[in-house]
Amino acid sequence: MSDITHPAGFRPATTEHPLTRWLLVGFAVLAMGLLVFAPLVAVFAEALRDGVTAALASLGNPDAQAAIRLTLAIAAIAVPLNAAFGIAAAWFITKFDFRGKAVLITLIDLPFSVSPVVAGLCIVLMFGANSALGGWLVAQGYPVVFALPGIVLATMFVTFPFVARELIPVMVEQGRAEEEAALTLGASGWRTFWTVTLPNIRWALLYGVLLCNARAMGEFGAVAVVSGKIRGQTATMPITIEMLYNEYLSVAAFSLAAVLSVLALVTLLFKTVLELRHADQLAATHRH
Amino acid sequence: MGRPLIHRSPMPGLGLSMGITLTMLCLVVLLPIGALLTKGATFGFANMWDVVNRERVWAALFLSFRLSLFAAGFNLVLGVVLAWVLVRYRFPGRRLLDAAVDLPFALPTAVAGIALTALYAPNGAFGSLAATIGWQIAYTQWGIFLALVFVGLPFVTRTVQPVVEEIEREVEEASATLGASRGHTIRRVILPMLAPAAMTGFALSLARAVGEYGSVIFIAGNIPLITEIAPLLIVIRLEEFDYDAAAAIGIAMLLVSFAMLLLINLIQVWSRRRIGHV
Amino acid sequence: MHIEIDGISKHFASTAALHPVSLSIPSGALVALLGPSGSGKTTLLRILGGLEFPTAGRVLFDGQDATGLSVQDRRAGVVFQSYALFRHMTVFNNIAYGLNARPRATRPAKAEIARRVTKLLDLIQLPDIGARYPSQLSGGQRQRVALARALAIEPRMLLLDEPFGALDAMVRKELRQGLRDIHDETGLTTVFVTHDQEEAMELADLVVVMSMGRIEQVGRPADIRARPATSFVRDFITA
Repeated sequence: MSDITHPAGFRPATTEHPLTRWLLVGFAVLAMGLLVFAPLVAVFAEALRDGVTAALASLGNPDAQAAIRLTLAIAAIAVPLNAAFGIAAAWFITKFDFRGKAVLITLIDLPFSVSPVVAGLCIVLMFGANSALGGWLVAQGYPVVFALPGIVLATMFVTFPFVARELIPVMVEQGRAEEEAALTLGASGWRTFWTVTLPNIRWALLYGVLLCNARAMGEFGAVAVVSGKIRGQTATMPITIEMLYNEYLSVAAFSLAAVLSVLALVTLLFKTVLELRHADQLAATHRH
Repeated sequence: MGRPLIHRSPMPGLGLSMGITLTMLCLVVLLPIGALLTKGATFGFANMWDVVNRERVWAALFLSFRLSLFAAGFNLVLGVVLAWVLVRYRFPGRRLLDAAVDLPFALPTAVAGIALTALYAPNGAFGSLAATIGWQIAYTQWGIFLALVFVGLPFVTRTVQPVVEEIEREVEEASATLGASRGHTIRRVILPMLAPAAMTGFALSLARAVGEYGSVIFIAGNIPLITEIAPLLIVIRLEEFDYDAAAAIGIAMLLVSFAMLLLINLIQVWSRRRIGHV
Repeated sequence: MHIEIDGISKHFASTAALHPVSLSIPSGALVALLGPSGSGKTTLLRILGGLEFPTAGRVLFDGQDATGLSVQDRRAGVVFQSYALFRHMTVFNNIAYGLNARPRATRPAKAEIARRVTKLLDLIQLPDIGARYPSQLSGGQRQRVALARALAIEPRMLLLDEPFGALDAMVRKELRQGLRDIHDETGLTTVFVTHDQEEAMELADLVVVMSMGRIEQVGRPADIRARPATSFVRDFITA
C-alpha cells in the first residue's frame, strides 16, 4: 500500500499500522460502493431490464423527446447567462477595491444555502399569476411561472454561484500585474480581457461551466415548483423522470435517468482530466 | 470615514462588470427572495406563526433538521476518512474513488432518488437483504438519512482534502520524536489541524441536507408526522394554492439557512484567528 | 551519550543516499554534518533520530545497539528545519507536548509540567511567550521554542536539521551563540546539519564533511582548515 518499501520491522513515523490502513480503506470503499457506485449501476440495470430496444423505444417517446429538448434549451439559456455573470462578478470583485465586498460575495453564495424548493417558491411568489408583476405579465401574454422563463429563472437561481465561485480564487491568486502590464503597453480594456485574462482563467471557467451545466440539467426541486409539470411543454427531464416513476413506468423513468447519468459521468470525466492537466490553473479548494 | 466607496483604479470595465453583477444578482436572487419576505410581511407575523406552529409543520422541520444533523455527522466521519485515505494511501482504484466522490454533485437528485429507492426498497437488491433481518430502509427515516448522506457526501472530503495535502510531514515526525504514539499524534496533532475544514464541510453538508428535496421524496414514503420533510410541505401548500402558508414555511426554512450561513462564516473566522497564516 | 555509527548505508529505490559510512561521536560533543545538498547529511541525521531505517549497518548509543529502536523510544531531541511547531497549540502546550504524550504512569503531574516548561522558557530567554501561538512569533523565536520543545523530553542527544537555515543573517549569528550556550549548559551530545561552512567551523567541536553519500573528512575545524583531506573539502571550505 505504501509507495516505498521499508525493511521489515520498520514503520515510518508518518504512517499508520497496516491493519489500520486496510480498515480505513475498507470503510471508505464499502461506503462509497453502497452509496455511490451501486446506485449508478442500478440506474443502468433498471433501464436495461427489458433490453436495449425497450430502453431506446422509451426514449423515442414524444414526451421524452420534448423533455430532452426542453432541458437542453434551459441549459443553453441559463448556463451562458450564468457564465457571463460569473465572469463579470469575478472581474468586479478581483480587479477593484470597494466597500462591502465581503457582503457581495456572501450574497452571491446565498443560493448554495437556500433550499431549491424555497428558491422555486420565491420565483412563484414574484412572478406567479396572483402577484402584481406576474398578473401583469400574464395579461400581456408573457407568463413566467408554469412556462419556460420561470424554469430558466429557477435554474439560474440554484446554479447562480457556480462560475463565480471557481473564477474568484483563481483570479485573486493571479493578481492584477499582467492586466496592468497589458494596459501600460497600450491594449484596450477588451483586448486586455481577451488576450490576457481569459487565457489565464479558461480552465477554471470551463470547470465552472461544467458544474453549472450538470446542475442546470439535473435541477429538480426548484423546477418542480415553478414548472407546473405540463407533459410535453414544461416537464424537464428530471420532472419527466418523476412522472414516469410515479406511473410505475420504471424502464422509461430509468432510461431517461440513464441519459442524465451519462451526462454526469462525462462531466466527472472532464473534471478529472482538467484536474490532472491543469491543476495549477484551478482553485486549490473545491466547494459547491 | 475618508474611505471612498470604490477606490479609483486604472483597471477598465468597472461600470460594465459592476452593472452586470448587481443587475443579475438583483433579478435572479435578491428580488425573488424579497418577494418571499414581502409576502411574509403582508401575511403578518402572527398569521405566519399560526401556520408554522402546528404539529405537522414542527414535525417536518424537526425531522429535516434532525436527520440532516445525523447525515452531516456521518459525512463528517466518512469525509475525513476519505480525504485521508485518498491523499495518504496508494491502492488500486484510488483515482476512481477520488473521481466518484464528486458524483453526488454531478448526478441529478431525482436520478439519485429513484436509484437509491430501487436499491433499498424492500424488493431491491440491498433492501431485500436488509429485510431478512427485519430492517426496512426505504420509506422509513433510514431512507431519508441515506439520501441525505448521498447528497452531502462530497462536502467534507473536498474541504478536508487540501488541508491533508498541506500537513507537513515534519510536524508528524516532530510529534513522534517527542515520544507520542501514532494514535496520540492523530488525536492531538492531526485531527485538530483538520477540524476547522472538517467543520466547514460539516456545516455545508448540513445546509445542503436541510433544504434537500429531489433525492429524498422518492425514498421517504412521505407520511405526515413520520417521514414528511419540510420542503415537501411547501410543495404541498403550493399545490393547494395556499401561498401564504407556503411563504410562512419557506421563511422559516430561510431563517434556518441564514443561521447556518452565519455558522459557516463564524467557523472560518474562528479558525483563521486560531491558526493564523503560517 | 556516545554515538557510534557503524557501516550505515541507505538506498532510496535504486539510488544510494548513503554509502556505508562509519563515525564515532564522543559524548558531549557538538558536531556539524557539513556538505552540499544531496550529500546525505540529512539522511544520516534522520537515521540517528529513528525517522529513517538504514539499509545496512548499525547505530550504537553508549555501546548498545539502537538500530531497531522506534522513534518514540529513542529520546532524541529533534529540531526540524521548518521547526514543525504545532500551530494549533500555544507555545506552552508545544513545549509540554512530549511530557503530556507520555503514558499516565510516567507522565509528570500538571504542576511539574508547568514548572519544567517555565524553566525551559527561561533557558531560551523568552519567559513571557507561553500563551502565544506560533503564528505570533518571529522566526528566531520559533527556532528557540522548537529547541525548548525538544529539550523538554530530557533527550539523550540533540539533533538539529539546518537550525539556522530559515533565518536572516543577523538573527543567525545571535542564535548560534544561543545554541552553543545551551549545549554547554546541558552537556548533551549535539549533532546539527548545515551547508554553511562558516557556521560549521565557528560553532562545532567536530566537523564531518560529507559529499555524495560519503564522509570526506572528520576533524576539528582548525585541522580541516589547515589540512583538507581531499580536493572536495578544500574547494568546499574555501568557497
